Amino acid sequence: MSQFLDEIETCVPALRRYARGLTHDADIADDLVQDCLERAIRKSGLWRPSGPLKAWLFRILLNIYRNDLRRRRRTPDPLPFDMLPSEPQGLAAQPGRLALAETARAMQTLPSEQREALLLVVIEGLSYADAASVLGIPVGTLMSRLGRARATLRQLTETGAPRLRTVK
Amino acid sequence: MSRDRKIMTEDALHAYVDGVLDDYDRAAVEEHLVNNPADAETVASWSRQNEVLRSLYGHVADAPAPAHLDVYRIADNRNVLSGNWRRMAAAGILLFALGAAGGWFGHNLAGSTQLATMPLVNEAVAAHNLYTREVIHPVEVKADQRDHLAAWLSKRLDRPLDIPDLRALGFDLVGGRLLPAGGRPAAQFMYEDKTGRRVTLYIVPTQKGAESSFRYATFDGLESFFWRDETISCALVGSLPREELREIATRAYKELG
Repeated sequence: MSQFLDEIETCVPALRRYARGLTHDADIADDLVQDCLERAIRKSGLWRPSGPLKAWLFRILLNIYRNDLRRRRRTPDPLPFDMLPSEPQGLAAQPGRLALAETARAMQTLPSEQREALLLVVIEGLSYADAASVLGIPVGTLMSRLGRARATLRQLTETGAPRLRTVK
Repeated sequence: MSRDRKIMTEDALHAYVDGVLDDYDRAAVEEHLVNNPADAETVASWSRQNEVLRSLYGHVADAPAPAHLDVYRIADNRNVLSGNWRRMAAAGILLFALGAAGGWFGHNLAGSTQLATMPLVNEAVAAHNLYTREVIHPVEVKADQRDHLAAWLSKRLDRPLDIPDLRALGFDLVGGRLLPAGGRPAAQFMYEDKTGRRVTLYIVPTQKGAESSFRYATFDGLESFFWRDETISCALVGSLPREELREIATRAYKELG
């Protein structure tokens, strides 16, 4: 049991990060993670290590998130500006605060299923096969969600706005 | 993927951006991008997106997790509720014997415990008397909304509550309600058997602390078992024979949480 708990514990940072990306709210995200951990520990008697633990935890988190979403019937609130990470210091290569805020806003306009997919691949670094399995969809469907998410983000962050990245 | 193919699939471009191609395929995509500026611009845009997204969310995983996300703490809370009930039940039988001999047997115990639990029994009995007599609205949320009831009261008491299933002992859930208990929220679940006898389970949140064994009280013509878990205190009240009530209390203890 204690080894199992240790393994769960190593996944907590990733679960918090994924929940934050889904909800854009630190408190709601941590509530989600707490529910996820409680459910995981409660179910641990039934669990057999047939797949990676992390994928199983992501699935539990997503189920709770989707149920909450259905209940509340609302999309995440805008990410408050002061919750953005502090501006990178002096590194021109890193994205600026404006780009972060712009992308944060664009992320919220994505349908939940596209945001779920994009975050698993880009932020959590899951392989396409693992991400598809967590989401319970074929890899082809994952790729099309990824494609639509990237196209929408590009459109929202690159057209109609000054293309700051070209300024030297 | 082949170097010969002129048209690169979009999947290959995604895979390139996400860094999941082997050397051979990566080289093929790079060669393709040299001659296809539109695809090259797409790939550059997606790469920038990845970078911005990592800046946006990556820092969350570096921050220390708050105490309520401590995996061991969550597991501890559960073990108290589900793992040790046999030991608890055994202690309950012993104390029940003491109680049978001593009436309000709290008198036999150390003063601090008695003082701490007296209000709980008083409140539980008062709530029992008030609502079990109610015919039209004995509960706020009826048993047909059991899941909602559990979720709602778990939220209000800020603790996970699983409503005990007492059907094996002949008691069906009637429903439950939220009550005020000295400025805090309390939960009451009501059960009824085929003959119309009602028992109530009264639950108040407590600070994390030591669990207690089952204790027994006769109060105002009613019998009551009460106990303390790690984060809740409970009292089961009913006008039932002591042994029957003890069996229900043991069952409720086992299933809560």
